[in-house]
Amino acid sequence: MTDRLSTTLAALADPTRRAILARLALGQTSVTDLAAPFDMSLPAVSKHLKVLERAGLIARGRDAQWRPCRLHAEPLKEVADWIEHYRRFWEQSLDRLESYLHELQAKPKKPGRRK
Amino acid sequence: MSAQARTQAGPQDQAIALTPDREIVIKRTLDAPRELVFAAWTDPKHLPHWYGPDGFTITIHEMDVTPGGVWRLTMHGPDGRDYYNNLVFCEIVPPERLVYRHVPDEKAEPVGHQTIVTFEARGNKTDLTLRLVFDTNEARDYAVSTYQAVEGGKQTTRRLADYVATLAS
Repeated sequence: MTDRLSTTLAALADPTRRAILARLALGQTSVTDLAAPFDMSLPAVSKHLKVLERAGLIARGRDAQWRPCRLHAEPLKEVADWIEHYRRFWEQSLDRLESYLHELQAKPKKPGRRK
Repeated sequence: MSAQARTQAGPQDQAIALTPDREIVIKRTLDAPRELVFAAWTDPKHLPHWYGPDGFTITIHEMDVTPGGVWRLTMHGPDGRDYYNNLVFCEIVPPERLVYRHVPDEKAEPVGHQTIVTFEARGNKTDLTLRLVFDTNEARDYAVSTYQAVEGGKQTTRRLADYVATLAS
């Protein structure tokens, strides 16, 4: 469960990439427009885009001239839902603990083992 | 519940209400004395009988229940996958309170969290409170807020579309 999560979190660990996603949250745009606010070469921006693309956080258009970048929110949802996995983990563990405790107490007590 | 704000809330009350996105609280009353519940939580003999969701089994590699002691285990999922866990005990007050930390690790979780378990005796029963507090993590917090913003935006657009539709009809 954590492999994809780690990839997503690693992609989001960089402030430039977070800024790129924040821009894309407003709507799709070209790489040139994306790069404009950053003091960075186009190849440097492309490198960040590749990381985001590999993490499944952005998708790019097919058109050779105009390859707009779009935000793909699914991995963000996985991160947002991730903590909920722990709730399920514990609800189920505590159910199991409850029946285990019943089992333990149903057993006849061994003599001389009481505290 | 009263809608009126509790102005008398002390700092402890407020601490529980803080950072709801990073915290999970689960309460449960167990039909067993707290000494037994505490033992079930801290004895490697007992843990494999209940620790983990349905269908999981565990292997405990090391479990040193002392402050600073290490607890390493592998959880075996029903799908055949293994999940490695690396923990450190912080506080042990038998049979009342137990605090330990999941340490972030390349093999384990990407973000750490602390687990605080309190065992309160109520007759022969135990009121258990389990709190999980996740470490602050810029990347995670960003993902949650951006996702909420994107979803919020979609809902606004949908509501606007619905509203325009009612105008047009």
